[in-house]
Amino acid sequence: MNPLLREAAASVQFGWLMGVMTLVFIACFLAWVWYAYTPKHRQMMEEAARLPFMDGGEN
Amino acid sequence: MEQSTSGTVATPASRPDYDMDIVKKFFTATVVWGIVGMLVGVVIALQLAWRPANLGLPWTTFGRLRPLHTNAVVFAFGGNVVFTGIYHSMQRLLKTRMWNDTLSRIHFWGWQLIIVAAAVTLPLGLTQSKEYAELIWPIDVAITLVWVVFAVNFFATVAIRKVEHMYVAIWFYMSFVITIAVLHIVNSLVIPATLFRSYPIYAGLTDALVQWWYGHNAVGFFLTTPFLGLMYYYLPRAADRPVYSYRLSIIHFWALVFLYIWAGPHHLLYSALPDWAQTLGMVFSIMLIAPSWGGMLNGLLTLKGAWDRVRTDPILKFMVVAVSFYGMSTFEGPMMSIRAVNGLAHYTNWVIGHVHSGALGWVGMISFGMLYWMVQNIWNRPLAYPSWASHHFWLATIGIVIYTVAMWAAGLMEGLQWRALDDAGRLANPIFLDITHRLNPFLWLRVVGGSMYLVGAVMMGINFWKTIRGPSAPAGARVEGV
Repeated sequence: MNPLLREAAASVQFGWLMGVMTLVFIACFLAWVWYAYTPKHRQMMEEAARLPFMDGGEN
Repeated sequence: MEQSTSGTVATPASRPDYDMDIVKKFFTATVVWGIVGMLVGVVIALQLAWRPANLGLPWTTFGRLRPLHTNAVVFAFGGNVVFTGIYHSMQRLLKTRMWNDTLSRIHFWGWQLIIVAAAVTLPLGLTQSKEYAELIWPIDVAITLVWVVFAVNFFATVAIRKVEHMYVAIWFYMSFVITIAVLHIVNSLVIPATLFRSYPIYAGLTDALVQWWYGHNAVGFFLTTPFLGLMYYYLPRAADRPVYSYRLSIIHFWALVFLYIWAGPHHLLYSALPDWAQTLGMVFSIMLIAPSWGGMLNGLLTLKGAWDRVRTDPILKFMVVAVSFYGMSTFEGPMMSIRAVNGLAHYTNWVIGHVHSGALGWVGMISFGMLYWMVQNIWNRPLAYPSWASHHFWLATIGIVIYTVAMWAAGLMEGLQWRALDDAGRLANPIFLDITHRLNPFLWLRVVGGSMYLVGAVMMGINFWKTIRGPSAPAGARVEGV
């Protein structure tokens, strides 16, 4: 077998794994975006952004 | 005072009794080790430009002092500055004192002892020859123990927090604590032969892959994520306005930690590593631009409406330049991980230039900004020499530019001359040493740039010394922690 073809075939063995990983990562990414940008969390996000300033009256 | 997410109202009277002593300890260690590490850096830069600076002694040659420099600036300066920021900001963000003061002190003194052990063993030539993991196995065991002490204290403090929501900086710190433990233990697995010598359990290519999985993620999780945590706390504090987009910071965090851990194989392009693994490392490296630039923009946009202060406030100047260098080096890195570009850049001084635009530009400058902000707030007094902070800023900024531009030029020259062919297809520069000699002007420029950076850091040290020993701010001008 042509070495180049053999190499290509070998990498295909990992193709299904790469496909699954890509889907898992996309699903994770969509979940973070949903968590961060859903209107339900808007108030919580705005409050969280102010946490560094909630320690009393310094400065 | 505003309502916090936990539903508790924060008032000065309800402030917990924070452990400020541990912050001051780490602060002091940061400044001392920073100057030492940078001094060794200038010495080895001089050794490369001017050979007699090796002094002809085995203990002072480049081969032994180079790992001393990297360990000192990464783990001694970088480590201590991160611990300073973590102990200061996490107590405030979680509104609780550290869980256990004794563990904090074991962490502090243990870490300093490890640094001293490194400073003794490396010049003696005791090394396990793994880049950024040179320390011999007994010191590796000590690092593991001290890290576990820190992690227990860290997570116990998270567990007893009084604020329900963990601010994004805490997440960045958590990724640092967990990932560095995993990286250090897996990469340091060895079979000890004697007290000073050991053999890795990995061989050949596996050893190389584990090494660069560790090496690249040491950059990612020691020099990037904890410093991003510092940026997300201290940039808003210094600018006196919340982060531009808290939502974007969450995407920044998760995307960054998910992608970073896969990028290591880009150090092994054109090696015996299987092609698909090389490509994987390259692709993940390129994808890293997205979260990195999201974070950079989030930092810069936080200053929206405060840009007039950037002209006059040296703290904000340090931070703006730091975030800009973060953007530049996180663009340059992915570019260098592309196979064709890497074929030119690998093994040249371009890599050194890239590392230092990240280390001096991002890590160093964000640290200086944080330290200048802290010294005034923790010790409750104004800077002894305010104008020196500005001089430090310009020395450091111009120093970095001289350093990195010299290294880019040197790297491109080397890379192009190594591969150049004449009309007959033979090497145009067959004598390697000829090319090395041509680097000398650039190596001297590096000495100049690095020295400027060091002088700035020494000025900062003197300024802090005088500030801390000087009179405190007048009553009523209370600043935090005191």
